[in-house]
Amino acid sequence: MDLEEIQTIWSEMSDQLEQQKKLTNELIMKMTKEKFRTKFDKITFYESIGAVICFLMAIYFLVNMDKLDTWYLLACGIFTVVFLIILPVITLGLLGKIKRMNIVKNSFKETIVGYTKAKNQLLLMQRVGIYLSFVLMFTCLPVFSKIMNNKDLFLQSRIWLIYLPIMAIFLFFFTRWGYKCYKNITNSAENILKELEA
Amino acid sequence: MGKEESFTRIIKENEGVIFKITTIYTQNGQDQKDLYQEIVYQLWKSFDSFRNESKISTWMYRIALNTAIGQLKKGKKHSTTTGIDQVVLRQTENYDPEFENRLKMVYEHIHELNILEKGLILLLLEGKKYQEIAEITGLSETNVGTRISRIKQKLKSRILKK
Repeated sequence: MDLEEIQTIWSEMSDQLEQQKKLTNELIMKMTKEKFRTKFDKITFYESIGAVICFLMAIYFLVNMDKLDTWYLLACGIFTVVFLIILPVITLGLLGKIKRMNIVKNSFKETIVGYTKAKNQLLLMQRVGIYLSFVLMFTCLPVFSKIMNNKDLFLQSRIWLIYLPIMAIFLFFFTRWGYKCYKNITNSAENILKELEA
Repeated sequence: MGKEESFTRIIKENEGVIFKITTIYTQNGQDQKDLYQEIVYQLWKSFDSFRNESKISTWMYRIALNTAIGQLKKGKKHSTTTGIDQVVLRQTENYDPEFENRLKMVYEHIHELNILEKGLILLLLEGKKYQEIAEITGLSETNVGTRISRIKQKLKSRILKK
């Protein structure tokens, strides 16, 4: 098969498609009115639900902040609240950036560049979020325990002897896997960006 | 002629074009259907702005290709042939298995290209001139020429390998 043959097959297929028109006026207008949820709509929907849960938790911690009576519990509380507010806001902002891309005015090149950059930022944010959530697991447990049961977990070393090694092992394998996946996706995206911006 | 009437006429005239774009940019039948619907929806949404545009095909290809980029799924580099089967399934009369195989090979070669190259080869195969390709893609005419000759080389070496 050579390039001329590709062109011939393509033309033949185009002719066949011309003869097989299937769309009706009703079907076309149905497609314009019953907009299905795109993948990004779905992601945004789930991220929004996640954000609401995070904000509610952050409010709960903020309201009970006075119960955290030591500097380390207070530090854990502040980290937890900041994490629960900032991370969902950034993620939703980046999703919004992708959705706001002007596909009518933008050229194909601009769309590829804009979409690839935004996707890379989103992936980076997701990775950062995953790593930080391990810190969150460490900080929110004592905060919860103090607020709900008035117990200072830092004074109970037995829990940490079990909790920390398990978390460390899990974190080690998970971050290795996560980083590899992230690099694979972004490497191909970077190649396209380099090619387009050259 | 009303807006709906003009729009449905344009879509009907170009349904094959939308179908071809969805086939090269998706991995399976469901994604293809989703992308098809999304393209029609985006074309409808921007239909008013098209009225000021000079060329209908430029407007249509630009929006369809831009929509395809936004719908791309990360993951599998090489596609399955499910999307291609959809093309074949449309052949009801004069069914030709040999043509079906050759068409599958064409799509396999195109699927191995990157997102930009796919768009460029599609426009070339659709018989677009470099000037219109440049207008749709935002690349300069010279750049389009250079990239297309590179794609041709790439395809040629891949075809020879197989």
